Amino acid sequence: MSARRFLSCGKSLLIAAGIAIIAGVAFLYSGLYPMGADVPHNALTYWGLETLRERSILRAASDVDVPKDLDISTRLLRGGADYNDMCVSCHLSPNKKQSDLSLGLYPSPPNLSLNNDEDGHGTHGDEIYTQQRHFWIIKHGIKASGMPAWGVGHDDERIWDMVAFLKRLPALSSEQYQILTARGESSSGY
Amino acid sequence: MKTKIFTSILTFSTLVFSLSAHAHDPKEHMQNAEKPDCAAMKNMDNSKMDMNDPVMQAMMEQCAQDSHKDQKSESNYDDHSTKDKSMKHNM
Repeated sequence: MSARRFLSCGKSLLIAAGIAIIAGVAFLYSGLYPMGADVPHNALTYWGLETLRERSILRAASDVDVPKDLDISTRLLRGGADYNDMCVSCHLSPNKKQSDLSLGLYPSPPNLSLNNDEDGHGTHGDEIYTQQRHFWIIKHGIKASGMPAWGVGHDDERIWDMVAFLKRLPALSSEQYQILTARGESSSGY
Repeated sequence: MKTKIFTSILTFSTLVFSLSAHAHDPKEHMQNAEKPDCAAMKNMDNSKMDMNDPVMQAMMEQCAQDSHKDQKSESNYDDHSTKDKSMKHNM
């Protein structure tokens, strides 16, 4: 008797799962989901994608070894010049509060010139993990977010220089930012 | 025979493509690069400057190189102007 009940319950679950899959596929093909970057995801989709992203980065970045010499001037100069060339148009600076890209991209790129608490993307736990996370994201990029994988053309040391600069960026004044990121002929950056 | 030609064309084009894929070269940015605005350092509050801070060290390094370059160009200019003057005197 209980075996029969179990079977019928299993059948019902299978049927429900089948219907859910068919409905999901039908929704995908219907084209009803708004894909424009000017229409935000609904809360459920946003939560799902954000959780997927953060859990994936946490798993992948936790094994990254952080160099002990991040806090040195040469790294700041190299990383600063690269940040100004490659990142500032989306991730902003003390001299640049918004840009077409920072306004138009969705999800909006974090403002890295602000502290984690202020940039709207929350804190990421301890300082070591923040550096591991920055390194991993710069190197591998993030799918469907506009963040490219810089590791394709840049070696690890160069990416660590940018991580070193990011660590100090929120505390920099406009004048300090200008001096550190200038890539004049005399610059000791790359 | 056709396969061989096709394979060699494919190999050659792949090789050309892979060789042309360089990393972002900082020299590309040199022409439009800003010079560090080291004059701004003079207006900063010296009492708040920590010389052991890597940010401060980086700024000093950046501006030291900049001032060396300026001194060099000034001395070059002086050399040229002295030469010009001496040439004019000789004329």
